[in-house]
Amino acid sequence: MPLDTSSYSLALLRLDGRRWNELRRLTAQISTQASADGSSYLEMGNTKVICTVSGPSEQKAAGSDRGERDKAGVRVEISVAGFSGVERKRRGRNDKRINEMATTISSAFQTNLFTNLFPHSTITLSLHLLSSDGSVLAALLNASTLALIDAGIPMKDYICACTAGSTSSYSSNDESADPLLDLNAQEELELPFLTVATLGGSDSVSVLVMETKVQVGRLEGMLAVGVDGCKQVREVLDEVVRERGSRILEGTKL
Amino acid sequence: MPRETAPSLNEKLFFQKALEENLRIDGRAFDQFRALELEFGDEYGVADVRLGKTRIHTHISAQVTAPLPEKPFDGLFTLTTELSPMASPAFEVSRPTPTELLLSRLLEKTIRRSQALDTESLCLLAGQKVWAVRADVHVLSHDGNLVDAASIAVIAALQHFRRPDVSVEGESVVVFGLEEREPVPLSMLHFPLCVTFSFYDLGGGAGEEEGEMRVLIDATSSEEMLRDGGCTVGMNRHGEVCQIAKLGGVPVDAVVLLNCIAVAGQKVREISDFVKGRLESDRKKRDKGGWMEELRAENDRVS
Repeated sequence: MPLDTSSYSLALLRLDGRRWNELRRLTAQISTQASADGSSYLEMGNTKVICTVSGPSEQKAAGSDRGERDKAGVRVEISVAGFSGVERKRRGRNDKRINEMATTISSAFQTNLFTNLFPHSTITLSLHLLSSDGSVLAALLNASTLALIDAGIPMKDYICACTAGSTSSYSSNDESADPLLDLNAQEELELPFLTVATLGGSDSVSVLVMETKVQVGRLEGMLAVGVDGCKQVREVLDEVVRERGSRILEGTKL
Repeated sequence: MPRETAPSLNEKLFFQKALEENLRIDGRAFDQFRALELEFGDEYGVADVRLGKTRIHTHISAQVTAPLPEKPFDGLFTLTTELSPMASPAFEVSRPTPTELLLSRLLEKTIRRSQALDTESLCLLAGQKVWAVRADVHVLSHDGNLVDAASIAVIAALQHFRRPDVSVEGESVVVFGLEEREPVPLSMLHFPLCVTFSFYDLGGGAGEEEGEMRVLIDATSSEEMLRDGGCTVGMNRHGEVCQIAKLGGVPVDAVVLLNCIAVAGQKVREISDFVKGRLESDRKKRDKGGWMEELRAENDRVS
């Protein structure tokens, strides 16, 4: 274990000084790239993501990997910058973890967007992870939502995501374990955590990914805190979209 | 690129109608697995799992290699999955499909990342020699629910496998053949299994809140093609959740998901008992004359 979060029980403050239910600073911009159909830039703490959307555009004959013709397909490309992490690591084209995230994002938006309005077409999301400090999948999902809104593609509701963890490491079976909201990279390394994405302010979970071992009794608390966090995220994203909208109305585009 | 034939409109409607009347095409209950069959090969570490028409063959092998430089005390454990055109015409050689990607990732997360196999026990000489255990998962026939079947196959095969006994003296390692000394089982910390749920939204798309949800366990491949979303839960019999993967798809209420996890725990316990029974009967079959206990070289684990 690289570090020890056992100091949490003393002051109930986490390593970066947050309480259990506090998100990191979440800021976002919309329409950052002029050339793309839709784009966004999102920061969750030190995790920084750019997303650009192109499309809906005509489906390429060869690359029609998504089957149905009466709906638009959602293609997701994730590129992780070499300088994003602590170690400079070259990732191959077929890193399974990255590919899994891409399939997840694609599948989540495939059902959330009204893809039936755009038959024979593809919506391409290209995501760039500039800096990674935990909650990567959540940041990618949030950035995608914003960019798709900017591109004007109709969707049922925002997909908002965040992570939730639990202060008890697996071995200590203490009852006093607190759930935590929005973990950073250090906390992700040693605590059990899950990434949850909900549809707007509802309790409907679109994505739920957990890769660490945790007692089944902890899960309910973690999920509740995660879903609650998603509602907070939605407020922030909504604010960004509304601000952009009012600027357009005022006529001062950008 | 050949693709699985999509279900026709008639099939879709028939299936949906049946779901509305709480029926499945093959007459099973919603939370019922297909007939599960598990056989072991003559060799140690060969398991053949049949779940309805899905059939998975797993082979465990071990050899002595050098450890990774960053983990000198840990043995190696690799899981490789193979979906050949034999399993389904939709699969091609050397072109990974999303199915294969998810299968290997989910197995990896459930079994390897959750430390089911105690890799530290595979160390022979720190930094120089460790056991490299390899699990090859071959899908012989694909009729849905590959992940659950594969997790059962790998866990059963790992428990069935025996590695050759070794003796370490100073810097020299002697590996004894199967005839010389009775081989020893691997040290497993827990036995995680996967249970996959398929979600069907009967709301008809536009209905916001009224959308009725049906949750099926152990979907066949035609049920899998028609589903609106899925969720795979990896758990062990002690109620530890090793992974959850609801990778997109139709949004499901959080309460329904928690309910799924509770059901998964119960199913995992049933399947674990089944696997345990089969291992026991296989052990009795091998134990001719009752000498196994005498030949055993390992020490009992004191807990």
